[in-house]
Amino acid sequence: MVLQCEDITKTFHEGKVATSVLRGASMHVDQGEVVALEGPSGSGKTTLLQILGCILSPTSGHVEIEEKDVSRLNARSLAMVRKRSLGFVFQQFNLFPALTVLENVEYALNLKGMVGKAAKAEAKALVAAVELTERGNFLPRDLSGGQKQRVAIARAMAAKPAAILADEPTANLDSQVGGQVLGLFRQLARQENRGLLIVTHDPKVRGIADRVVQIKDGVIQA
Amino acid sequence: MVDLGLKTLLHDKTKFAITVAGVAFAVTLVLAQVGLFNGLLDNSDLTIRKCSADLWITSHNTANVDFPQRFSETIVDRVRTVPGVSQADNLLFSYVNVALPNGASENAVVYALKDFKAWNLPWEIKDGQIEDLRRGRFLFLDEGARRRFGDFKTGDFREIQETRLRIVGQTRQAQSFTTNPISFMDYDLLQSLQPEFLGGKTSYILVRLASGTDVGTVRAEIQRRLPYQDVFTRDEWAKKSRDYWVVNTGIGMNAYLTVFLGCLVGLVVVGQTLYTSTMEHIKEFGTVKAIGGTNRDIYAILARQATVAAAVGFACGLAMALGLKPLAERIYLKLIMPVPFILLVGAGTVLMCLAAAMLSFRKVANIDPGLVFRS
Repeated sequence: MVLQCEDITKTFHEGKVATSVLRGASMHVDQGEVVALEGPSGSGKTTLLQILGCILSPTSGHVEIEEKDVSRLNARSLAMVRKRSLGFVFQQFNLFPALTVLENVEYALNLKGMVGKAAKAEAKALVAAVELTERGNFLPRDLSGGQKQRVAIARAMAAKPAAILADEPTANLDSQVGGQVLGLFRQLARQENRGLLIVTHDPKVRGIADRVVQIKDGVIQA
Repeated sequence: MVDLGLKTLLHDKTKFAITVAGVAFAVTLVLAQVGLFNGLLDNSDLTIRKCSADLWITSHNTANVDFPQRFSETIVDRVRTVPGVSQADNLLFSYVNVALPNGASENAVVYALKDFKAWNLPWEIKDGQIEDLRRGRFLFLDEGARRRFGDFKTGDFREIQETRLRIVGQTRQAQSFTTNPISFMDYDLLQSLQPEFLGGKTSYILVRLASGTDVGTVRAEIQRRLPYQDVFTRDEWAKKSRDYWVVNTGIGMNAYLTVFLGCLVGLVVVGQTLYTSTMEHIKEFGTVKAIGGTNRDIYAILARQATVAAAVGFACGLAMALGLKPLAERIYLKLIMPVPFILLVGAGTVLMCLAAAMLSFRKVANIDPGLVFRS
């Protein structure tokens, strides 16, 4: 298993008000598996994604990334885990506007420790894999939404992470482009044998998922 | 390695231009103000440095070369008898009134000696023979006097202390801190122009030592024989004259204040711009953190941006300050910017910009990478 969590709770405190967002959530993602995490707004799916993505720490419970317990790591160590083992795709793409397509991918590789010619060559290969070779020197502002999301996928694949976590990757795309992006996701996850967790409202995601996990009111549904 | 800091900085060219302009303005302010101050200070001891005297004898507690007190001119005879003294002469310094052709009058500084050549005064002659000063009611006037006196040429007459004197030569680069035009005339002539003040008096005694003589020994002996005068080496007297302006007037404080204000302006402009830029790019920094970057990676980005802004701003500021130099020279002002000083300002600029970037560090340290999941 590349991602696993067990009996996760997460409570946010705002002043004297405590809000329980996750209440004993458990799930896992295997290598090469595509898992869709579905649930209504406020169900806790993005919070669970952030905990599995080592961005948030759980209030209680265990999280394992590549079978290593990361539940009690500090912020710096969690950053190292993200750098080493995880890739992210965001709803808003979150590309660096001052960097070209190739540079966006190369920068992620740089952060993960790959520099110089090797990073440039790898960035080119990743951009080619998402079929954007001809747009390699374009800035994000000159790309369509679908193209931006493909760059984000290429960036998430940088340095071959064990798992990729995607937060509503098709929310800002029209239906046709969203379908193409999901197809690409599926293909790359299989080809590269990566675990893929997609948090979504989009029913199309079911079509590419090996498994669908439902969450409601912070509890994973059977 | 992709230079995210530099690319982001240059991405918004208007903001980058504003940052650079702020730094450049601060650098120009510091370089020009301190350069002008250095130029004025250079004038304050210029005569002392150019004159070939080894020792200067002044009346007791004379503050600087521009404000001498008079003492008996016969004291020079006692100096000449001190072992190790090869030559000693009286030097008169006085302010005289010059009537201008337009009816106005101005002050001028006069250095008067019997033998100018012996003391390398004046040190740069534009035209004329300095020996001519002994031959009549003549004077040499520095070309810088045009700023105050209007145009003149060698051969013209000027009324000085109600006496018509002929300009028989011109000098260059003879300037004083007080900005009064400098002239040179014969010792006896100057005494005759102001007999009630200068009759039988001198302002300084210039001393040249015999070769191989120990300066300290001769100086101590002169001081022993002249308890009511002060004896300075050339360097000491130059320093005392310079320090007077720096310490005893507000000019030094003014220069330091300008440097401080220049730094403050730069700090505020760069700090504000970088902080605004950080806030505008906060989601990008969140992305950096989300994909595995640490605070250190983001500090490096901010430091890189600050350093580039500093380098470009400093280059522009230096170019502007150097551009001011010839303009200042046209009005007989000197902008002196020694290379070590320029390097110091350069290093200070980088430090200033890094300090400004640190204002953003705290904000960046608290960025929650989870913000990238919010729409």
